[in-house]
Amino acid sequence: MMINKWLKQLTQMLASMQTAIYLLLIVGVVSALGTFIPQGQTPTFYLQHYGRTTSMIINGLGLSNLYHVWWFQLLIILLCLSILVCAYRRLRWGKKISGLASLFMHLAIVFILIGALWSLGYSHSSFIEIARGQTIALNNYGFEEGQLKLNDFKIDYYPDFQPRQYTSDLSLINYHGKNIHQSISVNHPLKTGSLKIYQSTWGWAIQLTNLTGTTETIISLKDKDLFLLDEAQQVKVQAVFLPDFKDDKTGIQSKTPLPDHPHVWLTLLQQDKVVDMAIIPVGQEVQLGSYSLRFDTFYPYSGLQIKQDSGVYMVFAGFIILLAGLGIRYWFAFWGKKGAN
Amino acid sequence: MENILLDIFFALLLFTVIVNLIRLWKPIKHGDFISSMLIIMAVITFIVMLVVRTSMGGRIPFANAYEFTLLFAGGVLILAILVRRDLVSPLFDLSVALLTILLLSVASSFSSEIRPLMPALQSGWLYAHVATAVIAYGSFALAACLGIIYLGRAQETDLSLPEVDERIYKLVVLGFTFLTIVIITGAVWAEEVWGSWWTWDPKETWSLVTWLVYAAYLHTRHSYDWKGNKSAWMVVIGFVIVMFTLFGVSVLLPGLHSYV
Ligand code: HEM
Repeated sequence: MMINKWLKQLTQMLASMQTAIYLLLIVGVVSALGTFIPQGQTPTFYLQHYGRTTSMIINGLGLSNLYHVWWFQLLIILLCLSILVCAYRRLRWGKKISGLASLFMHLAIVFILIGALWSLGYSHSSFIEIARGQTIALNNYGFEEGQLKLNDFKIDYYPDFQPRQYTSDLSLINYHGKNIHQSISVNHPLKTGSLKIYQSTWGWAIQLTNLTGTTETIISLKDKDLFLLDEAQQVKVQAVFLPDFKDDKTGIQSKTPLPDHPHVWLTLLQQDKVVDMAIIPVGQEVQLGSYSLRFDTFYPYSGLQIKQDSGVYMVFAGFIILLAGLGIRYWFAFWGKKGAN
Repeated sequence: MENILLDIFFALLLFTVIVNLIRLWKPIKHGDFISSMLIIMAVITFIVMLVVRTSMGGRIPFANAYEFTLLFAGGVLILAILVRRDLVSPLFDLSVALLTILLLSVASSFSSEIRPLMPALQSGWLYAHVATAVIAYGSFALAACLGIIYLGRAQETDLSLPEVDERIYKLVVLGFTFLTIVIITGAVWAEEVWGSWWTWDPKETWSLVTWLVYAAYLHTRHSYDWKGNKSAWMVVIGFVIVMFTLFGVSVLLPGLHSYV
C-alpha cells in the first residue's frame, strides 16, 4: 500500500513538466561542472591541487569520475523516466502528426540513452600494436575469435612532410567463418558485424642482436624505448631511430621522416647514467661499453583500436528517429499553418 | 588579397555601425536602405574572400579556428539579411554589425595560415558538421540580437513586441534543429575516427549544455507559455553559453577538439 502510494507520487512528479525542465537544467549544470574538474585522476592528485576541503568534496561525491558516478547516472535515468511518463500521457491525447513526431523524437532520446547504457555494459575495446608481417590472435585481447595480420603499413606525407594519411593493410582471418582483406586508414575503419578496427597510431620498431658472450640474442624494441640488458647491474640500452640521418654540426637529427638513410642512435645507460653511445647504419656492429650490438633491421608498427560494440547501432538508430521527428515536428509547426502567424 | 578583402569587410561593418548609431540618434533619409546595402556589400565581400581562400588553399576553408570563426561571422550576416527582410530596426542592424565585428576580432587572434588537413579531419563529416554549426550558431546569434531589442523595448521597430518574440522563437527552433544535427554528425564522425561517439570531451559536453538550455527554452514556452521578457533573457544567456562553447572552451578547457 505504502509503496503503491509512493510510486503514484513519483509518477506524478515525473509527469510534471516542471520536473523535466529542472532535470534538464540540473544535468546541464552538473555536466558543465565536470569540464572544470580534471577527470579520472587519483585522489591524491586532487589533494595536491585543491587542498583538503575541496578535495574531500571532490573525492566524496565522486566528481573525479563525474559522468560515471552513480548519482549522475541516476539523474539521467530520472530524465529518461520523465520523458517516458510524459510520452505515455501524450499518447493518450492528440493523434495529430506533429504530436506523433514529437512523441517519436522524445522516445528517440530514451533509445539513444539505452544504447549508450548497453555499450557501457556490453562493449569491449582494446588497443594493440602490431608490427608489419605480424599476426595476432584476437582472443588474446578479449575478443571472440579470429586472427589479425598486418600485411603492410604506409604513411603518406604532404610536401612539407606533415602526415597526410596512415594506412594499414589488414587481413582478418577466420572471424565468424569469414576472411576479410582490407586497407584501413584514419576515418576509414574496418567494420564487420559489431567489430570495428581503427587506425590509431604508428611508430618505428628496431631489431638489434646482442653479440656479447657466446649466444646471440635478438632484441626488438620500439623507437625511443629502453631495453634492460643486465638486471643486476641495471644496464639498459636505448634506441632512437633516425630514418634520414644527417651528419652535421647542428646536432643529431633526421632530415626527413622517410627512411632514406636509416641509422639507429644507441645509448648505453647504467643506473640511468649514460655510459656510451653510437650512431650506426643497418647491418653494422658496434662496441658499447662491454656490449657488442648489431643493428639488424627496422620496420613500422601500427597502433590499432579494436572495438566490439552493438549498442552503437541502437544509438545511431535513435539519432535517425530523433532527426526525423524533429524535422517533421517543426515542418508542420511552421509550414503547416503558414499564414496563421 | 585576402587581407585587403578582410579590411574591406571590416570597413563595411564599421560603416554599418556608424550609420545605425546615427539612425538611433535621429532618423535619416533612406536609412534602412543604406544599412541594408552596406550589409549586402559586406556579404558579397565575405563570399569573394571565401572563394579566394578556397583557390589559394585548394580546399574549402572549413577546418580550423580561424576559418570557422570567419564562416560564423559571414553566416550571421547572411541570416541577418533574411531576418531583416520585413524588420526595420536600426538597433538590430547595429547589434548584428557589432557582433560580426566581435567575431572578426576573435578570428584575427587565431592563425590564418592555410594548413593541409591532418588525417582526422579528412572526412565528409567535417563539412556537414561545420556547415550545420554555422547555421545553428548563426540562428542563436540573431535570436540573441532580437532578444536584446525585445529587452530594450526598441520603439523604433515596425514590428510589435509579440512579433519580435515570435521571430525569436522561430530562430531558436531553426538553431536547435541544426544544433541537434551538429551534435549527431559530430558523434557519428567521432565514432568513425576514434571509435567512440561520446567521450565527455569539454567541447562535446558544452555543446550538450547549450542543447539542454535551448531545450529548456522550447519546453517553458510550450508548457508555461513563457514568452516575452523571460524567454528573451534565455536566448541572450543561451548565446553567451554558445560563445563560451566556441571560444572559451578552446582557450580554458582544451580537449580532443584542440583544432577548434
Ligand atoms: C556544439 C558544438 C560543436 C561545434 C561548434 C563543433 C565544431 C567543430 C568544428 C568547427 C570542427 C572542425 C574541424 C576542426 O577541428 O578543425 C569540429 C571537429 C570535430 N568535432 Fe565538433 N563541434 C561541436 C560539437 C561536437 C560534438 C558534440 C561532437 C561529438 C560527439 C563533435 C565531434 C567532432 C569531431 C569528431 C571532430 C573532428 C575531428 C577532430 O577534431 O579531430 N563535435 N567540431
